[in-house]
Amino acid sequence: MATEDSPRFDTVDWDEITSGGGREVTKSLVALGASLAGLAALLLYDYVVVPDRTATFAAVGWGYDVTKLDWLLALSLLFVAFYGALPLYRNERMTRYYWKEFKKNRPAVASLVFLAVVFVGGVFGPLVISSPESELLRQFQPPVFMEIPQNYVIECVGERAAGVCRGTWQHPLGTTPDGRDIFKMIVYGMQISMKVGLIATLMAVVIGASVGTVSAYAGGMVDEVLMRYVDIQQSFPTLVLYLLIIYTWGGGLFTMVLLFGLFSWEGTARYVRSNALSKSEEEYMKASRLSGAGTYHTIRRHLIPNTASSIITDATLLIPAFLLAEAQLSFLGLGDTSVASWGQLISVGRDHLSYAPWITLAPGLVLFLTILAFNFLGDALLDALNPEARAEAES
Amino acid sequence: MTERPLLSVRNLEKHYPITEGVLSRRVGAARAVDGISFDIARGETLGLVGESGCGKSTAASSLIRLEEPTGGRVLFDDGRGEGLRDVTRFDEADLKAFRRNAQMIFQDPSSSLDPRMTVGSSVAESLMVHGMTDRTRRRKIVENLLEDVGLSADDYDRYPHEFSGGQKQRIGLARALVLNPDLIIADEPVSALDVSVRAEILSLVDRLQEEYGLSMLFISHDMSVVRDVCDRVAVMYLGKIVEIGETEEVFANPQHPYTEALLSAIPTPDPRQRRKGIELTGKVPSPVDPPDGCRFHTRCHRVIQPDEYDLEQSHWRSLLNFRDEVVAGAVDVGKVRESVEAGAADGDAEATPDAAVEREIRADFGLPERLSDAAAERRLGDAFDRLLSGNEDEAAETLAAAFVTPCEESVPEFVDHGDGHRSACFLTARDERALERPANAER
Repeated sequence: MATEDSPRFDTVDWDEITSGGGREVTKSLVALGASLAGLAALLLYDYVVVPDRTATFAAVGWGYDVTKLDWLLALSLLFVAFYGALPLYRNERMTRYYWKEFKKNRPAVASLVFLAVVFVGGVFGPLVISSPESELLRQFQPPVFMEIPQNYVIECVGERAAGVCRGTWQHPLGTTPDGRDIFKMIVYGMQISMKVGLIATLMAVVIGASVGTVSAYAGGMVDEVLMRYVDIQQSFPTLVLYLLIIYTWGGGLFTMVLLFGLFSWEGTARYVRSNALSKSEEEYMKASRLSGAGTYHTIRRHLIPNTASSIITDATLLIPAFLLAEAQLSFLGLGDTSVASWGQLISVGRDHLSYAPWITLAPGLVLFLTILAFNFLGDALLDALNPEARAEAES
Repeated sequence: MTERPLLSVRNLEKHYPITEGVLSRRVGAARAVDGISFDIARGETLGLVGESGCGKSTAASSLIRLEEPTGGRVLFDDGRGEGLRDVTRFDEADLKAFRRNAQMIFQDPSSSLDPRMTVGSSVAESLMVHGMTDRTRRRKIVENLLEDVGLSADDYDRYPHEFSGGQKQRIGLARALVLNPDLIIADEPVSALDVSVRAEILSLVDRLQEEYGLSMLFISHDMSVVRDVCDRVAVMYLGKIVEIGETEEVFANPQHPYTEALLSAIPTPDPRQRRKGIELTGKVPSPVDPPDGCRFHTRCHRVIQPDEYDLEQSHWRSLLNFRDEVVAGAVDVGKVRESVEAGAADGDAEATPDAAVEREIRADFGLPERLSDAAAERRLGDAFDRLLSGNEDEAAETLAAAFVTPCEESVPEFVDHGDGHRSACFLTARDERALERPANAER
């Protein structure tokens, strides 16, 4: 029989196969498992082996102490890589199609480039650029091509002329009131923004998408309970909770990110649910159930991929919301003063707006551009990822 | 049939509850499928026909347990020597095993394939779900199968939108086949396709069925397709089967008036030979509140007259339609009067406007000026008098008391016409009885 090289469906011995049981283990699943295990091992090493006040990688001579937020960021990046980048790489034709569609939107391409710079700057910037040190003598240095009256500065790095101090390339964006370089601070701020945006968004999206799809697919009582909980959470004042935590335990960026992630997924859940509801009526969902697939499989393989466009679009709206929220809290003096976030920088410049506006304007502009870029990106992604529109146009 | 059937459906019911208010109080039920029974033998194709909304698709999805049936039994022989087992009582493991034996082809090929999955993985999904962990083996099987249904192995990696409707239906067929089932339920598989593609798909279905000895439940509203494909046919009306039998027998010798009406709608290729089209009048009743007695009596062109009257059949039908409308309060005398008066204003002043209104209403319902049966005419005239004088309730009472068809008084039983050809209609029941007992004073 030729079944060896060309197996046919009617010669399959199902009793043998089903009795074997077991889940298929794919390469990517193994890789993900290995990466997670590696991360967990490092985490354990950090908390069990390394002494409390020693930098995590002191053993290999790297003096950076990894924070809780860094661990979360690593985890988030891992998930983005395995569930975002890897599928795109695998389904090459689909990716190329998306890219073709996406390219049509020029502002979105520019936004993508800008965000890529922010991302790369956030990940690698702090590794190559030394952290901005406070140098009180160099306070209020103006950016290049700008100047400040001499009486505000103690020591002018650039040239002095007619009672004003001019900016230099040594501090291309000027310095803060305590003499830190603003360019360096913005680069370091990129990492903070990335942490806030990525971790909180990933948390919110994972929870929101799970709740939304399960709610839509299960319906009935499950739907009712989940959605009423969403109602409750939506009316819950997260800001007050945050203030409460700050005053009882003291705040911090970690707390802020955690709260953002855990208490702002209700919009996502609602949005995903409404999209998933229409998708769960589709016949391919029935077909999947009919193949004998369980609820998890059907949701994971069909419902989530088909609501992905709404999930991704929602994420691109969540990120700027979180960045803004962080900036606002920082501006109000409720942020984490120990980190160099853009919001902190903006609030630092608050009192010096009249003579040193760049302290606020430079990070403000970067923040503005980042948020704008995410909005453009979201718009273009929604257009590019919508297969229904394409199918209708072609048929 | 002496052979034991593959599938045996007994009194299958699917009622959708209708709830009201905050507490979801149950106020009624839409009886989409209301006790249907049929058998399908191995290798046989049973057609299930009926107009849209009669519960065909609900019957299919309840018997394959995409939806939970609310009553009845679905007995299936999975070939493991355990004989017929009740699908409705299957637990999850049994159900999963049942999925390998019974599959379905969907109506709309576009929405039955996941747009974000390559068609290959859509077909291979079932294999994976049932535990085939070997990726290359899955792929080989599916590639072979795709070739078998008339596509190429390279199509594995293409997406659904890259295919035409007919090709997508071939893929749907491949997906239904991939687990090597014994039974395939085809829910209007060709109704979304072009006529030219239809024949190709039907012949493919035919070939595969023969090759792999499949049984099929073929759901359709198109009698001409059913005639080509099915060995036997069951005609469904409003949640119930009204006639079932060998396709040829049913087509040549329909026993139920509804079957007759469906058959009369098939276009004939010969322009000289014209079948008389039967137009069904009356409203399609809702499954929430199906008519008493024979469910078809509200639209039946051969609805039975009581012994006391002797009317022309079409007049009797019109009379019943009129009665139902009046009882439902749907006859707006005021409006008719207005329009009659507007017409009369042009010139000739009518002496008795009531008479004109009555004439108008009679014309609307296809009632003659005078009914041929004096007793009937007297009662109808009576009702008109009350209706026109504004006593609509009394008119309704009069009509409801005067004109009653035996069809609505009791539910017709199935009558066997031989060779498993059965129908549920009082007309045939009466004929059979008349044959058995010629002396019986039926009239």
